[in-house]
Amino acid sequence: MIEVRDVCKSFVANELVLKHISTTFHSGKINQIIGRSGSGKTVLLKCIVGLHTLDSGDILYDGRSFTAMSKKEKMQLCSEIGMLFQGSALFDSLTIIENVLFPMQMFSEKSEKEQQDRARFCLERVGLYNVFDMYPAELSGGMQKRAAIARAISLNPKYLFCDEPNSGLDPLTASKIDELIVELTKEFQMTTIINTHDLNSVLSVGEHIVFIHKGEKAWEGPKEKLFVSNCPELDDFIFASEMYQKFRTTLVSEQSGQI
Amino acid sequence: MYRCFSKPQRTGVFVSQALKEIDRLGVSSLFITLIVSLFMGAVLTIQTQNNIENPLLPDYTVGLVTRDTLLLEFCSMVLCLFLAGNIGSNIASQIGTMRISEQIDAMDIMGVNSANYIILPKIVAVVLYIPVLVVFSMFTGMLGGYLIAAFTDIITTSKFIYGLQYWFIEWYVYYSLIKAAVFAFIIASVSAYWGYFVRGGTLEVGKASTKAVVTCSVLILLADVVLTQILLL
Repeated sequence: MIEVRDVCKSFVANELVLKHISTTFHSGKINQIIGRSGSGKTVLLKCIVGLHTLDSGDILYDGRSFTAMSKKEKMQLCSEIGMLFQGSALFDSLTIIENVLFPMQMFSEKSEKEQQDRARFCLERVGLYNVFDMYPAELSGGMQKRAAIARAISLNPKYLFCDEPNSGLDPLTASKIDELIVELTKEFQMTTIINTHDLNSVLSVGEHIVFIHKGEKAWEGPKEKLFVSNCPELDDFIFASEMYQKFRTTLVSEQSGQI
Repeated sequence: MYRCFSKPQRTGVFVSQALKEIDRLGVSSLFITLIVSLFMGAVLTIQTQNNIENPLLPDYTVGLVTRDTLLLEFCSMVLCLFLAGNIGSNIASQIGTMRISEQIDAMDIMGVNSANYIILPKIVAVVLYIPVLVVFSMFTGMLGGYLIAAFTDIITTSKFIYGLQYWFIEWYVYYSLIKAAVFAFIIASVSAYWGYFVRGGTLEVGKASTKAVVTCSVLILLADVVLTQILLL
């Protein structure tokens, strides 16, 4: 479980990008941070993983305060984190299997044989075969995402962060990546946080949704209450496309009926 | 700076990275170093011959001047200025691309000391290998001069070789190698700095690469003055 407590972040003085955000992300669930482009989703995710320092507030990883952690404890925490970046962020100069081996070579005490076996297992688990010795540039976008997921899970992380995992992918590949993330989350009981503005992904795999609007948490709740949120900003976000506007009445009445 | 020069997290990985960088940055610069040095030595010999018109100066002066000019300035300073363009822009653009494509962020999240993992092997590789390139440059430069002596009639080969051997001061070689090592450090560290702190997109990577080359060139010239003052005078 990850708790975000009253987090504020600014890059320029007196211009808060994140304004007093508090929320909780539960383990074994698909937690999603949604919002318009530029709303602060990625900044929030980067604050949670420690890429940005907080102006104020705290992040608790299973009760462990990130801001109070020593350097050694932060290093330990890093080995429990896996992250999938928007652009995959695979190392260009390494082959696919070397990319997956990389975290193990840096932190694992396993033998070389065990590391190789683990890397192959991770790649096969995400559905990649026969590409071990290829370079990232030789793979399609979807395969690169899979390889990045394989690298992220190579050290058996407790926390998985995905920054717009579907961006740049066709709908079919995007849904396969979503399914893969769900499977892995349930299989390894990870706390997964997905940053997205893809509504299809939210509706198909999301469980706990946090909506960020202009750096503030505008709404939070289960997917089942998404269409009956009573949050005008969220409604504007969801029903922005013509297709969702068309089915608005049906979707809202369906969710109202469920509640 | 502290993060970059701290102890590597895995010594084996660091050594492997340094060897890869020697191959990628150093060995790949060997061919162009030899070509540049060969022509540099040849031109220097022709220029020296053309500009020495005093009958009191013996013919072998051409060989002597060519050798000392190569040892003192050309093989260290001029070659390093050239390598600042070649290796410096390569380092800045490679690290800059890693930065904008979030590869460095990925390392940081894994808990890898990205500055140490990426930059230190490059610095070690370049500081170790550029002096080797300078030694190759010295020999090739003199070979260039010899070939001019052999294929033209401006000086005989025997007089040129006599000039090369005459009043040889060993310290000049060490001086050149010390300068090369300092210049190499400037090339690797300054270029890595510009690449590591790139913000934005591909356009900024290009700008960082240009800034790296310009900064390296200016610092090399400045360091040359300081080192010459310290080591020769």
